[in-house]
Amino acid sequence: MTLATRPPGELVGCRPTGAVPRRPGPRRRARRWWLLACAAAVVAAALPAFAGGTPVVRVEGLGQLGEFFAAAAHPRLDGPFAALVAGSAATTLAYAVLGTAVSLVIGLVGGVLTSQVWWRVDAPGRRVRDVLAWGAARLAFVVPRGVHEVVWGLGLLVVLGRGPVVAVLAIGIPFGAVTAKVFAELLDEADRAPYEALLAAGAPRPVAVLHGLLPAALGDLLSYAFYRLECAIRSATALGLVGAGGLGTELLDSFRALVYGEMWTLLYALVVLSAVADGWSTAVRARLAGPRGRPDPLVAGSVVLVPALVACSAWWVRLDPSVLWDDRSAHQALVLARQSWPPAAGEGGIAGLVRLCGTTLAMSVLAVAVAFVLGALLALPAAALPQLDRTGAARLRRLPAVLLARSAMLLLRAVPPPVWALLALFAFHPGVVPGAVALGAYTAGVLGRLMAEAVDNLDGRPLRALGALGASRGGVLCYGVLPAAAGRFAAYGLYRWEVTVRETVVVGVVGAGGLGVVLQHQLNSFHFDRAAATVLAVVALTAVVDLVSAAVRRSVR
Amino acid sequence: MCLIVLPVAACGTSPAAEHHDAGLRVGAIPDQDPQKLQRMYDVVSDYLEADLGTPVEYVPVRDYAAAVAQFERGDLDLVFFGGLTGVQARARVPGAVVVAQRDVDERFRSVFVANTAAGLPPLGGVADLARLKGHSFTFGSDTSTSGRLMPQFFLDEAGVGLDAFTGEPGYSGSHDATIKLVESGAYQVGALSASVWDKRVAEGGVDTSRVAEVFRTPPYHDYHWLARPDLDRRLGAGFTDRVRAALLACDGGDDREKQVLELFAAGGFTAARAEDYAQIEAVAGRLGLLR
Repeated sequence: MTLATRPPGELVGCRPTGAVPRRPGPRRRARRWWLLACAAAVVAAALPAFAGGTPVVRVEGLGQLGEFFAAAAHPRLDGPFAALVAGSAATTLAYAVLGTAVSLVIGLVGGVLTSQVWWRVDAPGRRVRDVLAWGAARLAFVVPRGVHEVVWGLGLLVVLGRGPVVAVLAIGIPFGAVTAKVFAELLDEADRAPYEALLAAGAPRPVAVLHGLLPAALGDLLSYAFYRLECAIRSATALGLVGAGGLGTELLDSFRALVYGEMWTLLYALVVLSAVADGWSTAVRARLAGPRGRPDPLVAGSVVLVPALVACSAWWVRLDPSVLWDDRSAHQALVLARQSWPPAAGEGGIAGLVRLCGTTLAMSVLAVAVAFVLGALLALPAAALPQLDRTGAARLRRLPAVLLARSAMLLLRAVPPPVWALLALFAFHPGVVPGAVALGAYTAGVLGRLMAEAVDNLDGRPLRALGALGASRGGVLCYGVLPAAAGRFAAYGLYRWEVTVRETVVVGVVGAGGLGVVLQHQLNSFHFDRAAATVLAVVALTAVVDLVSAAVRRSVR
Repeated sequence: MCLIVLPVAACGTSPAAEHHDAGLRVGAIPDQDPQKLQRMYDVVSDYLEADLGTPVEYVPVRDYAAAVAQFERGDLDLVFFGGLTGVQARARVPGAVVVAQRDVDERFRSVFVANTAAGLPPLGGVADLARLKGHSFTFGSDTSTSGRLMPQFFLDEAGVGLDAFTGEPGYSGSHDATIKLVESGAYQVGALSASVWDKRVAEGGVDTSRVAEVFRTPPYHDYHWLARPDLDRRLGAGFTDRVRAALLACDGGDDREKQVLELFAAGGFTAARAEDYAQIEAVAGRLGLLR
């Protein structure tokens, strides 16, 4: 098991998938039950859309879909527009870098404060006070994690006004909360002997963490930090859709007028930006996962480059944090707080909220199902399988398929979900299905990449053994790769489920948006108290999904 | 990174400018081709700056609710709001002044367009909108006056509630998306700004064999320029009147004025009063869009 394949949020107790013999008996039965339950959930989510005799697919709209993809060959490339795109790309990158930086600070502090090792809750002589403090700290991060970046952006905009700080915090806060969760798990997993020794010698807890715990976990923490950077580029784009600037904002402008040529130029820029971030992050993480001990020039160089990148980004967007302690900001925060508290259910009351939760849940379940199948289908050709092709010539033969599948996944995750939603409406009748397809296509890009990485990191010995016995490439995939990687695939899919619930907030166009559309209406009509109730419903739903997903992940591990 | 960024920075496309209290901060969300205005904003700020003799900063605005929030917070002094967002902004910023509107805003209209396969004949009057019951329907942007508020008002007049449609109504996000979605058949009927519809038809950008106008609403007031109440205090007595005069003077007399009017798809600007928007205010209140 290398670090590179670890899914975010699924880090405790990972074991090498290929090396541990399957445990017979109750675990296996539990796994089978969970599999059935998942299938039932997908069917239940799809049933209302497909039953009732109304058609789902719209054949006549496929022409329009073709129109969009045909424009891929004619992006707008003239000088002024290219300059605009280049400047916007720099802005998107800058927001991503600064947002990641903020999230790492929050994640590091929050990670320590929510770890079991800091509060010693798993130590034999634990105190009730510490257990309570640990629980409270964990609870404090549930809300920021459950609220989508775009919603953070709109709220912060009311308080802080226009300015880059809003975009940076809108990425930094929710990402920080997610990072805190993962960092806490990594710290709990690290070797704590030095930490215990320091504590026993009378060192204060912060010092013991700094010198005894952090060094042991540093590689894992760095690895995850670089993974966050590539996610942040996608989030910076989504934020652009509410006007924060950068490629997302330009894309929204061209999208509103449906100028496909401009949209494609911007999408290509996003693909390039994501590819560079992906490549860098993957390379650093692969080195971090390798044998330790000697300083790696790539890792060291990257660690040096990051502060420079942060400084350049702050200069480029003219980051002015003074707005944070501005009198006007304090006043606006008070105004917003007064208007959003106490939360009030909108029309339809609590029952209406529950119904919307149901729609949101159905959409997210279907979306993950779509993403899982599409992601797996793309991940298999996208995996380079270095375990099998050990000669350069053999790798070269596979290169076209690998590149094609990888570019497809890059494109899938570069196109923001609202754009996918409009395209999905050309091909499907309005309702839950186009929303699920839109979110599924986007998520497939993310999921497929994680899956391909998992396949590349499989133990090569059983695969080569199958090959030596005469199995064809397809045979090796079916009987060697898939069984070994299935657990990991499932874990990734379940992890993305939680993210997808939050993501339903951004597809409003589809005519069955659930909580997301209602939230947008409430924000647009300044009913902040109702919006607060809707946000709390999303947070609660995310928390429930998180619990279920964690339970299933434990059983498939 | 610095090496890449430096030359690009010289092009001046950086997103945010520092907060300074000296000048006038102007924002606008136009009804047509928003990407053109957002990317050519120098034209507007240059015009006002030359006329007013005060530094003018154009702030690109993409999101209606965000524009209202920034106006309320004092980040924007003068905003070209839509009818509904202008009313929302005045409700949140008491004392905000309606400065001017475009000539086309005095008689703004919405059109209902239908996919030809839906078999809807041209409708004779508002009451005929009842025939849209049982069809699938999409609005434009959530807070668009011509793409959502007034269409919903006239539907209401005809006794068509949002639950009278097949499925939930969609919110396409823009006038152009509404045309496209109805043309493709994703929704059978949609509502949008008549001026955008007329322009797209004239440009030949619409397949009129697949989507056709079925109803044009009575006229109402739409977009207008709104100024913050503290403008005179901050930039000198009578400043709001000077802004109004500057806008009204823009009649396409020279190239710059022509460019401004072209960006705003207008023949000129005319004076406007708060009373012009009483109807929109009443409708917004009734539909729960005012808070």
